[in-house]
Amino acid sequence: MATSSTEVPVSRAGSRWDASWLLWIAIIAILLILVVSPFFYLVLTSFQAEKTGDFTLSNYATAYGRARYIDALFNSLKLGAAAAALAGAFAIPLAWAVARTDMPGRGFTRMLVLATFITPPYTGAVAWILLAGPNAGWLNRFYVFATGAEAGPFNIYSFTGLVVVIALYSFPYIFIFTTAALELVSSEMEDAANILGAGTWRTMRRVTLPLALPAILGGLIICFLEAIALFASPAMIAIPARFNVVTTQLYQFFGNPVRVEVAAAYAMPLLGVTVLLVLVQRLITARKGFATLTGKGGERRPIRLGRWRWAMFGYAMFVASLSVFLPYIFLVQSSFAKAWGRGFSLDNLTLRNFNFVLFEHATAAQSVINSFLYAGAAATAAVLITLGIAYIVTRRLVPFAEVLGFLCVAPFVIPGVVLAIGFYAAYAPPPLSLYGTALILILAFTTRFLPIGYVNASAAIRSLNPEMEEAVRVLGGSRLMALRRVVAPLLKRSLLGAWLLIFIPATRELSSAIFLYGPNTKVASVMIFDMSEEGNFEYLSALALILQVLTLPLLYIGQKALGRDFMLRRTAT
Amino acid sequence: MKNLARLAIVAALAFAPMAARADLKAIEAAAKKEGELTWYIAHYTSEGAEDLGRGFTEMTGIKVNVVRTTAQVAYQRLLQDIKNNQTICDVFSSTDVGHYVRLAAEGRFEKYIPESESKILPAFRNFDPAGFYHPTSAGLVLLTYNSSKVKAEDAPKTWTDLLDIKWKGKVSLGHPGFSGYVGTWVLTMKNLYGWSFFDKLEKNKPQIGRSINDTVTALVAGERQVAAGADGSTLFSAARGNPLAISYPTDGSVLIIAPSAIVKGTKRPNAARLFMEYLYSIEASKINAKHFGVPLRPEVPAPPGAKPLSEVKTIRPTVAEIDKGIPSVIEQWRDTFGN
Repeated sequence: MATSSTEVPVSRAGSRWDASWLLWIAIIAILLILVVSPFFYLVLTSFQAEKTGDFTLSNYATAYGRARYIDALFNSLKLGAAAAALAGAFAIPLAWAVARTDMPGRGFTRMLVLATFITPPYTGAVAWILLAGPNAGWLNRFYVFATGAEAGPFNIYSFTGLVVVIALYSFPYIFIFTTAALELVSSEMEDAANILGAGTWRTMRRVTLPLALPAILGGLIICFLEAIALFASPAMIAIPARFNVVTTQLYQFFGNPVRVEVAAAYAMPLLGVTVLLVLVQRLITARKGFATLTGKGGERRPIRLGRWRWAMFGYAMFVASLSVFLPYIFLVQSSFAKAWGRGFSLDNLTLRNFNFVLFEHATAAQSVINSFLYAGAAATAAVLITLGIAYIVTRRLVPFAEVLGFLCVAPFVIPGVVLAIGFYAAYAPPPLSLYGTALILILAFTTRFLPIGYVNASAAIRSLNPEMEEAVRVLGGSRLMALRRVVAPLLKRSLLGAWLLIFIPATRELSSAIFLYGPNTKVASVMIFDMSEEGNFEYLSALALILQVLTLPLLYIGQKALGRDFMLRRTAT
Repeated sequence: MKNLARLAIVAALAFAPMAARADLKAIEAAAKKEGELTWYIAHYTSEGAEDLGRGFTEMTGIKVNVVRTTAQVAYQRLLQDIKNNQTICDVFSSTDVGHYVRLAAEGRFEKYIPESESKILPAFRNFDPAGFYHPTSAGLVLLTYNSSKVKAEDAPKTWTDLLDIKWKGKVSLGHPGFSGYVGTWVLTMKNLYGWSFFDKLEKNKPQIGRSINDTVTALVAGERQVAAGADGSTLFSAARGNPLAISYPTDGSVLIIAPSAIVKGTKRPNAARLFMEYLYSIEASKINAKHFGVPLRPEVPAPPGAKPLSEVKTIRPTVAEIDKGIPSVIEQWRDTFGN
């Protein structure tokens, strides 16, 4: 197995002037603008007295002075850990089956995972409330009908319920990271294990999955962070379940009386947690080699599962029915319903909701277009920036490169609303005067999803053996050339994966958008949120479905444009 | 000297109303030159807000930049604007009365008493004696229920009916920490029956949502059967055909009033004033009623399914009580209900 332990002396000696230096400096500068300035504002605020702006620690005293505030913090940590673990249990087997085996319906499974991913978490949460509400949930009613029991066993309004709902809509992160990594593992390594007597399962456990470890860990971390940063699902489920998490507590600091300073102080431990996670990931992956891309080509054959193929397929469909099939029954029903509460009946059917959302509503159609444009721009920017940063960090091109990595990961965990206040303060007034522009939203989305881009890019670059770039350098090419002609082409699958991973959540990003949009820059997520605030599910479902239907072909084109997986030279089947 | 001072006071008194209540024609002409205004708005649904903005444009040709968000976000945006010496927002419409108390005390509003104030329902006049903010939206917290599960004659008639054991596991509420409507309702119930009302209510294990509109979801889904809900969102959903109905409690529906104010230093003072006048017009009341809001003008009929406000027994706390009282009932709430 090739390792990445040999760092390149050439690059150290690369003090000769090289155009790439300009690029590094530019990327670092962009990062400073995007992340450091709003963060600086945030940290500063947490130490300021409300009116005077004097230095004080009292915000921290208020934020941690009550047992229930601290309970909320622990609830969030527990929630994050449980949701990430469950998401891993959903995602890793599916990723392995789709990327490495001859399970039937692999393309279908992939599409279903993407369909899950483009479902906004709050839509999923609403659907699950209808499925597993303790009194009227369809699953419970079915259970009562089938067994004659007094009451059904499911209660969405519980800690477990919240964990399941969050895991269901965040597992695609792990799935996409992991499949991207597994697709780079050539079968030779598995063959070696087979020859030495290991069976399929043992090979998977000891060779294949460990090679994808950076990607899996990255996915788990993103899930963990997403679970503690989400607001909508906890607001819908945790509050009726009578417990608080960080985001629902934070929200209340914005109520009357408003305590932004306390909110800032309260958000600080989340930053600490992020640092810790990044360190843990380092520690676990530091001493092993994960370079799977060695420039020597390679080949990949699907693993034959035999009769287990159908068991695996069954599991994939089980997960998909929880995340897509069952919830979408509700979504489709209510989008075509005159009144969703009247259930399934022919005289309840109408196309009015779609007509209204597309043609009559003043801003809904434009908001969908805005969402796609801003998300596309943000995804492109974030992928380019994080590719550069991950490269700098992994190849240690500048001193203290690690700090850059941390800066990339930090924005995810700061609740969107707090981050957005930092943004608004930094960019809305002169000199930049970005108030009400598309640019302020694009900048915010870019910042918000840097972590996804970064985690993905750094896992990808770590799978890349530096020998290949060294070859370019030895032959007199610049580092920039190595990046453009070797690194980018080799990583295009993971980069496109990362692009989609940012694009999709950016189309549904709510918490920062709600603070930053102007009269002409409303986005679909804000629209949908307004409708959910108003209990307006018929329109909400119609708009959500339109978003989904528009996103799917984009995904399809993206997959096609990518071309064939270069390692699948021979089809084994 | 004393006489001179007296004279000055008399003169000031004579001119003051003129300063605040200028000639509408002149305002309109100047407003048209200003051409547009920006409205931070947390009242109404987003469609309702857009509709109202469009109505103004149709009437006057002045463009309205509608920034519709939640009350907290609108307030945060305004605070940031003030901090950075920006005057983006011309008219500020939050649902949280506390915001107005604070901002008025800090001198952030332009004083203006709409000419048409005398034409709105008496309940809404003279809300802020100092004349900085004026009611522009109203709604009721009342009893709501799922009409396919509860018959009208069995539906609760007073707030205390919710304490009946027969509603155990069947009540839906919002959360005062997340909803101004719920906060005002909790405060009113506490004033009326003392906190023991909520201790007893907790025995019925209510389901607590976030927004008051979450009660609509809980009722329509059949998850719960009766609620302390809002008239507008419930009637809107009922008008679509969802199985919902409202019941005006005989001990009083809680009247929620949300004001608007002109932001100090606005660059379009005339457009802002004209807009305040517009919000008190029959046209604006009609648009409001179309979106199931309470019309401020008596000429405009109540939305379908609602009684005219004049026939409803309403109760409400004072502005000062709301400002001081809500933070403390939120804490009490969390002690009683545990979240």
